[in-house]
Amino acid sequence: MTNSKYHRDNLNQIGLEMLTLCKSQLEKSKLALLNNDSDLAEEVVFTENHINALDLKIEKDCERFLALYNPVAIDLRFIMSIRNINSDLERIADHAYGISKYVTDFNKKVPASLFQTTQFDLMWETIESMLDNVTVAYENKDVKIARKVFKKDKILDKINADSFTTIATEIKKDNALIPEALLLFSVIKKLERVGDLVKNIAEEIIFYVDAEVLKHKKKK
Amino acid sequence: MAKQMEITIQNTVKKVATDPIIDESLKKTSKIEVKDVKVWYGDFMAIKDIDMKIKPNSVTAFIGPSGCGKSTFLRLFNRMNDYVDSFRMEGKIKVSGNNIYKKKVQVEELRKEIGMVFQKPNPFPKSIFENVAYGLKIQGIKDKKILNERVEKALKQADLWEEVKDDLKKSALALSGGQQQRLCIARTLAVEPSIILMDEPTSALDPISTAKIEVLINSLKEKYTIIIVTHNMQQASRISDYTAFFYMGELIEFGKTSNLFTNPEKKQTENYITGRFG
Amino acid sequence: MNNIQKNRLKDQAFKVWGIGCTLIGLVLLTVFIGNILIDGIARIDWSFLTSLPSRKPEKAGIYTAVMGSLWILGLTTLIAVPIGVAAAVYLEEYNAKNKLAAILEINISNLAGVPSIIYGLLGLEVFVRISGFGPSVLAGSFTLSLLILPIVIVATREAIKAVPHNIREASYGLGASKWQTIWNQVLPSASGGILTGVILALSRAVGETAPLIVVGALAYVPFAPQSILDEFSILPIQIFNWISRPQHGFIENAAAAIIILLSITFIMNGVAVYYRNKWQNKWK
Repeated sequence: MTNSKYHRDNLNQIGLEMLTLCKSQLEKSKLALLNNDSDLAEEVVFTENHINALDLKIEKDCERFLALYNPVAIDLRFIMSIRNINSDLERIADHAYGISKYVTDFNKKVPASLFQTTQFDLMWETIESMLDNVTVAYENKDVKIARKVFKKDKILDKINADSFTTIATEIKKDNALIPEALLLFSVIKKLERVGDLVKNIAEEIIFYVDAEVLKHKKKK
Repeated sequence: MAKQMEITIQNTVKKVATDPIIDESLKKTSKIEVKDVKVWYGDFMAIKDIDMKIKPNSVTAFIGPSGCGKSTFLRLFNRMNDYVDSFRMEGKIKVSGNNIYKKKVQVEELRKEIGMVFQKPNPFPKSIFENVAYGLKIQGIKDKKILNERVEKALKQADLWEEVKDDLKKSALALSGGQQQRLCIARTLAVEPSIILMDEPTSALDPISTAKIEVLINSLKEKYTIIIVTHNMQQASRISDYTAFFYMGELIEFGKTSNLFTNPEKKQTENYITGRFG
Repeated sequence: MNNIQKNRLKDQAFKVWGIGCTLIGLVLLTVFIGNILIDGIARIDWSFLTSLPSRKPEKAGIYTAVMGSLWILGLTTLIAVPIGVAAAVYLEEYNAKNKLAAILEINISNLAGVPSIIYGLLGLEVFVRISGFGPSVLAGSFTLSLLILPIVIVATREAIKAVPHNIREASYGLGASKWQTIWNQVLPSASGGILTGVILALSRAVGETAPLIVVGALAYVPFAPQSILDEFSILPIQIFNWISRPQHGFIENAAAAIIILLSITFIMNGVAVYYRNKWQNKWK
């Protein structure tokens, strides 16, 4: 095996590690919020250090790979896309961190009815399914599966747009719920961003495999 | 009684054939130390005061513009410069703790420890077998069985066995350039050195042959210490663990390849590897 | 346009001149050989080749002369080749830039130009008289060896020089000593060139007359040499002897002998050229 292949495989593995870790952070922050579990939230906050360390490692490895091996074509696209995917993952983890901070700092249990009316569960399901899509797409270099996330993101956009009126209505019904409602409103915004970030990741994977640039383009 | 003796002799031959010719522990400690080395050709000072320590079982690359002295420096290790009349050197070069420029050192013994592969493939105008066996024959090894084994082993290590095993009597000059260079590598490996010096081994070859030899070098560093002179910086960055940058006879920088190519310590080094000069 | 036409004309003119010069040489040679063939070819038969010399031209043959030439050639080879090759190896491989080597170089080139009869005189004094070998095959061979030694040395040196330096480097790099490198790599590679040089030197030696006359190769020798201390005759001397006889029969004999001598020379040269080509192709 050449040095460059060894290096590439290594980088690939670390990318996968980062992906898995971010998914787990999101999962934990969801459970922490749903159950107002501040212990779980603390875990997420603590793990943020590990995420940051991985982020720096991937950056450094990409720099070394470019310097040592002068990659071209698919190898070059691999490095370019993995840097961007890494950046997106770091931001997703940041959002998970933010959600967990809400739980630890405010300690306010959001009522189940609020979750229901905002279709909170559907948001999470969609995001989880999108994350599964990009994980499979990344591991198998499967562009078709990557494309599936674009439609799903529209669901998130809709729920986010609806949340204005839904939350406003809930607040009018019961003023005492204002802090919880605002908290939920914030989290929904975050989740909408997470959806966008996952979409970016899918675009990067398609760029890497097919050399097709989908940024700023209308997607099917 | 004769039968007994015959069996004893056979067993001894078997033992000798399988005993490693080089002490295994020597491989692991084949550390190379260079201290205060200076080289003159007549009045011209070709190498100015170099200190260096080379790690065993690694690939070290020497880079630098033409005429910077890297080839001269490489040839110090197996004393090939001795054949140039005006050559004179000062300082110490220690291999496994022994200074190789001491008067009592036998150059022929030294070169069995430290082999060399040259820029242009230079197989002897003889058969493939004769080429690889030459280094063994001059040591006095005559036993056909041992020769066959060592030749096969060396050709396998050099990744050439599959291509030539059917006709080892074929002339070495009938091979392609890349195959000839691998033959030269096999020839060096047959002697079982611990250190291999390579002087721009792929500069005369096409990209595919070059790639094959780079993979070969990568696999060899497990057992050998390899020092390679190359004018191709990308090659140095691809295959070496440590890189030394030479300029006008001086060692400008020496360090881990990944550091030297991402963030070199000296500005001169950066200027060279980015192509701003030289 | 005018300039180009002028140059083309010069081109053509030179071509014609060159062809003319070449043809003159060839034509003269053809005429000479043709003449000889006409005069002598009829005389060549088995009895001519195996008869001893005689006062009667019809009975005279070249057997003793050919045998003498062969003996001389054989012994000269045995003497000149080892000495010549060794000297050339010393000069090329162990060449120090010292005084001795420089002196040797100059003298070898000089020796090649010395008139062959001088060698004859040298041989007469040193080998025939002082060493006491008498006018024998041994003395004649030593004399001829001295004569062709410069040719062998120069040819060997050229052959050794033609062995690429990187072959030697490869050999040294594997831990071979200087002598191992010379014996195992340089000489085998140079052997073609050395062989060519030796054959050319010998084909010159086969025709040398003057030095052997001085050494005492007899003209009338009714026996072939049985040992190296025997007296001898050689083909050129036999030819010289017959030409100076008045009988017309001997002129025929001389022509026939010349044809034999020429054939030997041509064959030897042909073999030398064949091997030289084979050897040069080895490096491709």
